[in-house]
Amino acid sequence: MIHPRSISMYILRSIAISLLVLLVSTAYAQKETVAKHPQQPRHLSKQEQEAMRRKQIDDSIPFFRGVQVKVDAIGLVQKAVSDYGQYEAGVRVNLKDKYFPVVEFGLGKADHREVTTAISYHTSAPYAKIGMDFNIMKNKHDIYRTYVGARLAATSFKYDVDNPAIIDPVYGGNYPVHQQGVKAKCSWMEALAGIDAKIYGPIHLGWSVRYYRRLSHDDGPLGNVWYVPGFGKQASTRIGGTFDIIVEL
Amino acid sequence: MRNNNHSSVPTFRRAFLSPLGRVREGLPFLSLLGRAREGLLFLPLFLLLFLASCSSVDCPLNNTVYANYKLMGRVTTLTDPLTIWTNRNDGNDTILINQQVNTDSFTLPVSYARDRDTLFFRTNTTLDTVTIDKTNIPHFESVDCGMNYFHEVKGIHYTRNAIDSITIQNRDITYDTSKKHFYVYFKEYRY
Repeated sequence: MIHPRSISMYILRSIAISLLVLLVSTAYAQKETVAKHPQQPRHLSKQEQEAMRRKQIDDSIPFFRGVQVKVDAIGLVQKAVSDYGQYEAGVRVNLKDKYFPVVEFGLGKADHREVTTAISYHTSAPYAKIGMDFNIMKNKHDIYRTYVGARLAATSFKYDVDNPAIIDPVYGGNYPVHQQGVKAKCSWMEALAGIDAKIYGPIHLGWSVRYYRRLSHDDGPLGNVWYVPGFGKQASTRIGGTFDIIVEL
Repeated sequence: MRNNNHSSVPTFRRAFLSPLGRVREGLPFLSLLGRAREGLLFLPLFLLLFLASCSSVDCPLNNTVYANYKLMGRVTTLTDPLTIWTNRNDGNDTILINQQVNTDSFTLPVSYARDRDTLFFRTNTTLDTVTIDKTNIPHFESVDCGMNYFHEVKGIHYTRNAIDSITIQNRDITYDTSKKHFYVYFKEYRY
């Protein structure tokens, strides 16, 4: 038979041990928390302070920063001084001053007659480009930006070729060619690097150097095209550029 | 919030040269260029002007469209003199090959716009007539190069005096001179 005093002692001991275990586990958890989040301020290097400052600015910048509307001046000049060129405009969206999704539309025109061969070539067709620019400046929120980017572009167009004299030297006779509305397609990619700078108010100026690479093409039943709207004169690889007049909205 | 580091309105020079200095922060190797950065800035523009001033003429080296014939079978080299002629559009004849001996292959011009060419093959005293049915496809290379006509052979018909048979090996007659379009099988005994 167990004495009632022994029973009460047993209960008291059990309660004391339970409290002790609870106390130890709470203290250990607090120690871990302190280790994870030290209360003492740590000395930060200059780079770390600058990184923190930029991160704070980044965090305070909204995701959508505005829209740019731009027009290419090189194509306009090219069309004005030669018999081929393009009118091109685009819209670029500013996301956190880092990412700039862009769409560009243009109208490419060629109206050329070669004096030496008497061959005439005419086309006028739209083209479209879609892509993304990345601001690679260290301070991305500056009023100047430096971009690298890429575009995917495509056009479907018709062209006219006229050759008034193709003389058969053996069998005799003249068989001129007057081909109207010959259908052709072309798609290409562009890799670009460029800058843009704020000039006054919402007005920016910028330029880009672009590397063009043809991806696919269907030159139609005549075998070749001379000018592709947006891509330029026939070639599989080439380098070009734009000089952009930009309005930031 | 926009972090404008420049309080005044930037000048054109400042506006276009400052970005390079800022890029330099991110790309340390550019700092080596020092004062040459102005030249570097305008280098792409000079490069563009240089490239724009260049033009090239990419005409094919061979711009003739000829049908290639090769002798096959028992007679791969024809020892008899071979003469081939055709009718011109003005009604006259024109000789294409005149008394050629030891012939193992030959090339003949194709009319630009006819649907059917007629060729006359004479070997010694025997005469064969060969007619070729074809389509005529205008071919454009560039405005710098003259246009021409390519052809697709639809069929061939011939008499069997000295010729045993002619087969079509390649139907497309283009600038490509490496392809043989017809195999000609002459009879071993031609009288």
